[in-house]
Amino acid sequence: MDFNIADELKSVQELARQILADFTEVEQLKQVEQQEQGFDEKLWGALADAGLLGIDIEETLGGTDLGFYALTALCEEVGRTVAPVPAIPVLVSAAGTLRRFAAAGQKENWLPGIADGSLLVTAATEEYNNDNPANPNCRAEAVEGGYALSGTKTCVPAASQSRRILVPATTGEELVVALVDPAAAGVSLSPQVVTSGETRHELHLDKVQVPDAEVVATGGKALDAMNWVQQATRTALSAMALGVCDKMMRMTGQYTSEREQFGRAIATFQAVSHRVADCYIDVECLRLVTQQAASLIDQGRPADEASTIAKIWCGDVTHRVSQASQHCHGGTGVDRDYPLHRYCLWARQIELSAGSSAQLTAQLGQAIGAAYSSP
Amino acid sequence: MNIELTAEQKALQQEVREYMTTVMTPELLEEMKIPEYKEGGGPEFRKQYARMGADGWIGLSWSRELGGRELSHVEQYIFTDEVVRSGFAYPFLTTEAVTPVIAANANEEVREEVVGGVRDGKVVIAIGYSEPNAGTDLASLTTKAVRDGDDWIINGQKMWTSLANFADYVWLAARTDPDPAKKHKGLTMFLVPTDIAGFSHTPVHTLGVRTNATYYSDIRLPDKYRVGEVNGGWKLITGQLNIERLSLFTHGQVDALYQGVCHWAAETPSPSGGSLIDQPWVQHNLAKVRSGLEVVKLICWKQAWAMDQGALDMADASVAKVYGSEFFVELYRLLLEVMGQAGTISADSPGAVLRGKIEFRWRVGSILTFGGGANEVQRDIIAMAGLWMPRTR
Repeated sequence: MDFNIADELKSVQELARQILADFTEVEQLKQVEQQEQGFDEKLWGALADAGLLGIDIEETLGGTDLGFYALTALCEEVGRTVAPVPAIPVLVSAAGTLRRFAAAGQKENWLPGIADGSLLVTAATEEYNNDNPANPNCRAEAVEGGYALSGTKTCVPAASQSRRILVPATTGEELVVALVDPAAAGVSLSPQVVTSGETRHELHLDKVQVPDAEVVATGGKALDAMNWVQQATRTALSAMALGVCDKMMRMTGQYTSEREQFGRAIATFQAVSHRVADCYIDVECLRLVTQQAASLIDQGRPADEASTIAKIWCGDVTHRVSQASQHCHGGTGVDRDYPLHRYCLWARQIELSAGSSAQLTAQLGQAIGAAYSSP
Repeated sequence: MNIELTAEQKALQQEVREYMTTVMTPELLEEMKIPEYKEGGGPEFRKQYARMGADGWIGLSWSRELGGRELSHVEQYIFTDEVVRSGFAYPFLTTEAVTPVIAANANEEVREEVVGGVRDGKVVIAIGYSEPNAGTDLASLTTKAVRDGDDWIINGQKMWTSLANFADYVWLAARTDPDPAKKHKGLTMFLVPTDIAGFSHTPVHTLGVRTNATYYSDIRLPDKYRVGEVNGGWKLITGQLNIERLSLFTHGQVDALYQGVCHWAAETPSPSGGSLIDQPWVQHNLAKVRSGLEVVKLICWKQAWAMDQGALDMADASVAKVYGSEFFVELYRLLLEVMGQAGTISADSPGAVLRGKIEFRWRVGSILTFGGGANEVQRDIIAMAGLWMPRTR
């Protein structure tokens, strides 16, 4: 048992924190928010130059191969600065899956470009009323030399800037995971403005031809890939939430220590300080379950239950810390000129992505029921 | 970062778990049904405690010089976790919190007598800190010790002196300077043999367990029973609080309750068909317990690990205390809800589930939210040490 964070990882996290902080001054964030894509390409380039986009990509493909745990540490830093970059969809959901499940040629096509920041690949893991990528409604029809995909995915991040979108579909008998070119015939992208302020896309596929060369996995391997992407995405979202919540809580601690009412700092009222202390407890709980899930995935160990529990905590803690921070800030918290609101918006976005606490609690309960019912 | 037990740690866990099944004899289980002996103290308890001593299981964390195995805190936690899980009323405060302090600070003769006795499983020590008017604000205690030649004359009353009805000594905090510059500076620690003239106790029956009020009436205590410096008691008290907490919140004891209820719900038919565990509301409660329990496990492991690194964070220790105590209470409720009316049936009545253990745990649950430093004080510490917020007033 070792909770120690290796020195190498600490310096990576430090580096990421520095670069992200440099690019996320309020004025810079406002500027990026004016743009339609809401994506800071300069920041993405700076992260690439520092070798941070290839943390979980093999060295032979241009990465630094520090592993999945290190990647979640980057996600935490992205959360801490609410930086407008698609770290989770590109680096975790897409690149992480390609690294582990794609053929050598596919990896060579895409991973070096992701690592050096020259291209994006994203993943379409959610459908309407269905956030399980291992059980999609999207259809894959076997055709000469590949598959024809039809169906609808929702809230796809970074879809319009990506060269490929990782899409799970089913033939009715088996799962197919393929890379879809957004420029291919039959693909339509409709912008969706979401809580975080980003523009995401509804991805509609109408008999989109995907050649065999772009099929990442089928059958059991595709199922493994989609189970992995779900666990990894939930864990990465929890890590990002950790950064978001830790920062919100610290902003609140500082604000209440400075804000005076009735002739004293409001933090000297126990009713106020205890609410912030409760955030601290929540954040520590979230940290522990996230670290556990991330280290299990890092070692290639089973992480279904651990990542589910992490995301349950993630959903609860984002909500509670966000509301407490808003409340303790009074009017300042809702003012769009003050940075807190961005964190609150992201907290809600993360909470509702890849499975809510209520839904995952029900799933965990079903799994417990099944485990104890079996003879 | 690798948050799993090593092979050696798992082996230790298994070894302790197996050994404890031999300690929890049918005779002991029978004895523990008697309210008087629920928390130990009966002849069968004494027998098994001494057997653990003879088999070398007591004081594993102590130095080799004292007869221990110098276990790390993580290993010590694994031991504690399994012993508590077994349900044995092992006197952790005696063995882990107080005895090492006595070993380091007591007069040689008393050290032999007490440390040797604990190691052999023959000595139990009760904690004499709280008083009717000194709880969380412990430094305001008024029990007095006045020097008289080679002896001390002790007068006062302690409250919540658990185990004092069968303990061999009370680990007593007394005021030796009535007018110190700061009130926590005038305290001194003593070991009071419970067979000494002037010592008495009366039972206090709580919601759950029996505890005691203890009385110290003109006790003439030889100076050899003083532990540490005169007026130097405060650091002996506070020095072992973190170690104390490590044995208050353990994962195994509540994990065993959770698993017990899961099995019970799987075996119990639901009036609407199937088993109780097929019901969504039952699954919901069990999942709530499961996700909260995971954090109990991780917090305990991290605390023990941090102590081994010599880097136990002050705010983290308070986080563990608040989370652990409040989640335990929540867990009892969530599990009792699954059991419904059956959860109210006491151990000896027909229809009792899991020997009424969960209802009993609930009865003692609230002790931990105010005991060991009230949670309000812990939250103050978190705000100050964790977030650098100003002191509340």
